[in-house]
Amino acid sequence: MSASREQEFRLGAERGDTPLLPSERVWGFWGFAYANSALAVATWVFLIGGATALFVGPLQGIAAIIIGNTIGVVLAASSTCLPCGKYGVEQFTFLRSMFGLNGSRLVYFLSVVVLTMGWLAVLGLMCGRALDNLQTLVHQAQPSGDGWLVTGGALLAIVLAALVAMRGPDMIRRLSAVIAPSLILIMLALMYFISRRYSLDQLLAMPPLQPPFENPHVNFMVAVEINIAAGFSWWPYIGNLSRLCSNQRTAFWPNLVGIFGAASLGESVSLFAATTLGSSDPTAWMRLAGGMGFGIIALSFLALANLTGMVNILYTAVIGLRQLAGERLRSMGWGVLITLFCIIPVVIVVLLPGIYDGFFIFLVWTSALNSALAGIGIADYFFLRKQRLNLRQLYAEPSVSPLRYCKGFNPIALVALVAGFAIYVVVFNPQTLAHTDFFTFATASLPSCLLAGLVHYGLTRLLAARLGWGGYPKRNERNIEAVGLRVQD
Amino acid sequence: MNSQVDVERAQDLERRLCAYEELERRAHWPGALTAADVVALALLVLVMIAGAYYLGGHP
Repeated sequence: MSASREQEFRLGAERGDTPLLPSERVWGFWGFAYANSALAVATWVFLIGGATALFVGPLQGIAAIIIGNTIGVVLAASSTCLPCGKYGVEQFTFLRSMFGLNGSRLVYFLSVVVLTMGWLAVLGLMCGRALDNLQTLVHQAQPSGDGWLVTGGALLAIVLAALVAMRGPDMIRRLSAVIAPSLILIMLALMYFISRRYSLDQLLAMPPLQPPFENPHVNFMVAVEINIAAGFSWWPYIGNLSRLCSNQRTAFWPNLVGIFGAASLGESVSLFAATTLGSSDPTAWMRLAGGMGFGIIALSFLALANLTGMVNILYTAVIGLRQLAGERLRSMGWGVLITLFCIIPVVIVVLLPGIYDGFFIFLVWTSALNSALAGIGIADYFFLRKQRLNLRQLYAEPSVSPLRYCKGFNPIALVALVAGFAIYVVVFNPQTLAHTDFFTFATASLPSCLLAGLVHYGLTRLLAARLGWGGYPKRNERNIEAVGLRVQD
Repeated sequence: MNSQVDVERAQDLERRLCAYEELERRAHWPGALTAADVVALALLVLVMIAGAYYLGGHP
């Protein structure tokens, strides 16, 4: 095999076509922790901290941020980083083992495509709000809420993000390198302005902005749920990052430094800013916190940071979509695909601009899906497959692999997904915040994760072996036999 | 699966799968999460959640 061909295949492995070998992986502990932190410290931490401030004051808010992110990040990382970090497989290729080939495509569509479209609209609107606040700051007027400048700015941001994404990864890397440090500087400046006005005791005693319930414990649990959702929102992405880590331990622990630690710090600063400045909208803080000079710089950076975040998620989602989709999408032009992808975010910006102020509702809806997916992943990988994957089955022709399930879908996993999603909405409705008493001590994500896992485990034990689905080891079968290795010895 | 590049691609995949099967045969997988990691994680999660709730979680 020629050197250029080897290079081509190695690049293919990096992009997810084949498993990455341990010797090809680039990140050690601190490398992954830095990459993780840079990803976590984006404009979404401002939104999540601001949303937390609606329900609880800073003291309870910090507790909610720590509790929620701990639960969300640990469960999301356990179900994705541990298998992908061990075998170097692309996350949605790994998902074939539990959902089937077409099932993993469906999960990609639900968890990445829909999520990315929503985020594009939210971040675009944040760009629009930043421009609106910038204009009102310069002209010393009142911001217009959802006026033409906000909508126009949001649409412009989506168009610019699409144009940059069409140019490819080099431009994205260059933009991304400066954004995380700039946002950390903005956070430090915000903390400086806040600490000049308030002592720590005064800060911690601040009331929440708009608590919807009389019972403060219920408000606290909603804040915890929002932060669990924030932790779980990494589920579609971190598996593919962790496969670049040198081993399984390196693929897991840095998540607690980066995604948990950096995001929690950023959200806590945002929580302080929101409660002291009286708004959950980050663009308003930049206008109010430190005068005109700081406002202009911070709002400009905020708009740029949003744009970079949008380009990143758009590029990643469309790359994945091409990998998973059939020939028809793969033969479509890159520019055409990106343009088509941006149509729905544009529609959301025009018809549903309220998604920005009700951002946490969108975030919590995603948790109804992600928590169930994490539960199924844990049940399948740890309890059914006992941490051993048969990679040959993952990469085999669908017609000869036990992972073909039923026309490429594993009905058992899909039933478990629906069950997890349903129990979430019954326990806690993200749209109306209606909840049962069970929610006030158990959250909604944990029951969803647990039920989805139990349904998947129970039905698989009951049916999968009889139907010849999934190539699962039998109860008493030794793992080494179950993965089919002895056959070749 | 006819062209030379397809054959080479299949060989590359085979090489990668064999490498992992070789690792699977060993008694110890290098860098795998150990029981000590799991215990440390469980303790960490417990301390973080209980500590955060105790310090600020109850109104």
